[in-house]
This record gives sequence, C-alpha cells and structure tokens, in this order.
Amino acid sequence: MPPIKDKYTIHSKAVVCQDVELKGDITIGAGTVVHPKASIFAIAGPIIIGSNNIIEENAVIVNRRREPMRIGDENLIEIGARVECPVIGDHNTISTKARVHHTVRLGSYCVIGVRCLVALPEDEMIEDYTVFYGPEAERRTWSGRGKVQEADLRKKHIEYLKETLPKFNRQRKGDVS
Amino acid sequence: MSLQPPVYYIKSEYIETDTGNKVSRRATIAGPQNIILGGKTIISSGAIIRGDLRRTGPGHAVVISLGRYCLIGENCVVRPPYKTYRGTFNYYPMKVGDHVHIGAGSIVEAATIGSHRELIGDIYQSKFTIIKDCAKIADNTVLMPNSVVPALAHFAGAPGQFVEDLPESTQEMVEAETKSFYNRFQPLES
Repeated sequence: MPPIKDKYTIHSKAVVCQDVELKGDITIGAGTVVHPKASIFAIAGPIIIGSNNIIEENAVIVNRRREPMRIGDENLIEIGARVECPVIGDHNTISTKARVHHTVRLGSYCVIGVRCLVALPEDEMIEDYTVFYGPEAERRTWSGRGKVQEADLRKKHIEYLKETLPKFNRQRKGDVS
Repeated sequence: MSLQPPVYYIKSEYIETDTGNKVSRRATIAGPQNIILGGKTIISSGAIIRGDLRRTGPGHAVVISLGRYCLIGENCVVRPPYKTYRGTFNYYPMKVGDHVHIGAGSIVEAATIGSHRELIGDIYQSKFTIIKDCAKIADNTVLMPNSVVPALAHFAGAPGQFVEDLPESTQEMVEAETKSFYNRFQPLES
C-alpha cells in the first residue's frame, strides 16, 4: 500500500482544534467544529466534510474505501462515536459511543442511539428519518416532530462553539490558506 | 490499615499539587481556570475534562467543580451539559461532590452528582441527570437525559433502571474506600 499522503483543506470559517488527529486527504467545510481529541483518518479514499457539523471528543471517522466519503451538513457526531459509512446526509445525530459500519449509507435526519452498533451484512441506504435505538439496534421511523427545534438548537450550539472554542484551544489551519 | 496492595504510578507522569491532587500529564484539561478540584483528587491518564465550555456572560464562571477524594478513571470524558433556555444557548455548570469514583471510559454530562458515589466503568450519563448521594451505578449503564437517581439506589442497564437499595452504611464504606484508594495510589521512582 502506498504511504498515505496528507492533504488538509480546512475552510477559514471552520474551527478545528490543535489536538485533533488528521490523516490523509481531508476537506472540512465552513462552520464545522471539531473538538479536541477527535480523529479523522482517510486511509484509502478522501473524506469530505460539509458545513456546520459538530464532531466531539474521541470521535473517530474512518474511510477504508477508495471512493470519497461524504458527510453532509449540520450533523452531530457525539463523544466516542465511530463512523465508517461512505455517505452521510444532512441533519443526522450519531450519539455517544455509537458505531456505524462501512456498509451503511445514512440519509438525512437519522438518529443513531447511544452505544448502538449498526453493522449490516450488505450495503444499504438508510432512509430519511430512521432511528436506531437500544442494545439490539432496532429501528423505527421518526415522525419528524420537533425537527425545527432540533435544527435551531444545533444552529445555536454551533454559533456558541465557534465563539468559545478558539478562546481556550489553539486552532489548526489547512495547508492552503 | 488497608490490606490491599498499593497501586503504583510513575512519578514523572503525574503532577501533584499542594492540596494533594494528582493529575496525569496525559489527561486533556481544557480551560483549567474554570475547573475547581477539592483536593486529594486523582485524574488518570487519557481523561478529558472540558472546562472551556463555559456559561456565557460577564465575570468568572466555574464550569466543573469536583469535591475531595474523587477519582476520574482512564479515558473518561467529563463535560458540562448544554441546553437552550429562553432562546439562548448555554452550557451549564456541573457539580460533583466528595468521595466520587468515576470508572474508566465513562462519559459524564450530568448536572449534579452528590457525594459518596460509586460509578463503575464505562457508563454514559446523559445531559442534566441528577445523581443523589450514596448511589451506585453499574457497568455499562446508560442514564437517560434529565433523569434523577435517588439516594442509596443501585442503577444498572441501558436505559438505566433501579435494581436495589443499598445499605445505610454505604456512606462510611465508600468514604473508607475512596480514602484508602488515595493512600494506596503511590508514586514509583524510576
């Protein structure tokens, strides 16, 4: 395997802390906040992260596939989550310590519950508004109630973090400015 | 006093303060000016304590206050909870009492934790949980947001549920245990 070439493209309005581990070809969009101690590894193909996402501590994002991994906008990846899915839509929540395998393609407005392991034997596109919950990773569909409030909370959270995080943590910038 | 063997650590890996706190150099502590340690508290390596997520507003804000004889295990994450209140987003301060052991790998986002508490390994506590004095939370427990754990209760499972009552002697037991752990936690010159 050829050595991994590092290439980071970080938007000037993104907040990526110094303590974040990055590897490979990574693009981070405007307004995305990456907390310290998160890891993003583009082992085979590149990782493209959209705008206004929050990636919390100890979260791991890995791309083992050749094709680029795309993460949409306004997703929340909580503490200690491990994400390997090649496609993530918008407005998803991946809760604390959840694990998502590379066979899963997430749509939009999906929720993966605390400590769920989503490992499907075959490639599957998860429909919008799907919720995974419980220790067996059962699924059901969310009615979409409270969607506006959720989006509003996320927007305010991002705004707060963009203001506060740079005061206490050193930031990382991309190669090309 | 105690019959259990000492737990050794490498002296150069920990910083000891005047009040007897032992903080690992490999722990990540963000915003240390907003964190209060009560004394004789151990913070193990790999722990993450987020003092930077402070309440907005003028003046000095305490984000996380820990009591005496606390232990924060390896790879724990301690961070304050957040919510919007009257339309403004804020993180809210977190208070932890005395004699609290938080096991390795736990994630704590609780609002309040009482004293004399025992948390054993790999727990996830959601936002704004309130845990009263002398409660015990088992391994692999997930507490739901805004839940309350009463005093002298043993909680387990995902979602966390009440299992049994603890004896009234729990307070003395946990106190003795946390004190003996602190005394057993000895430096090793090398």
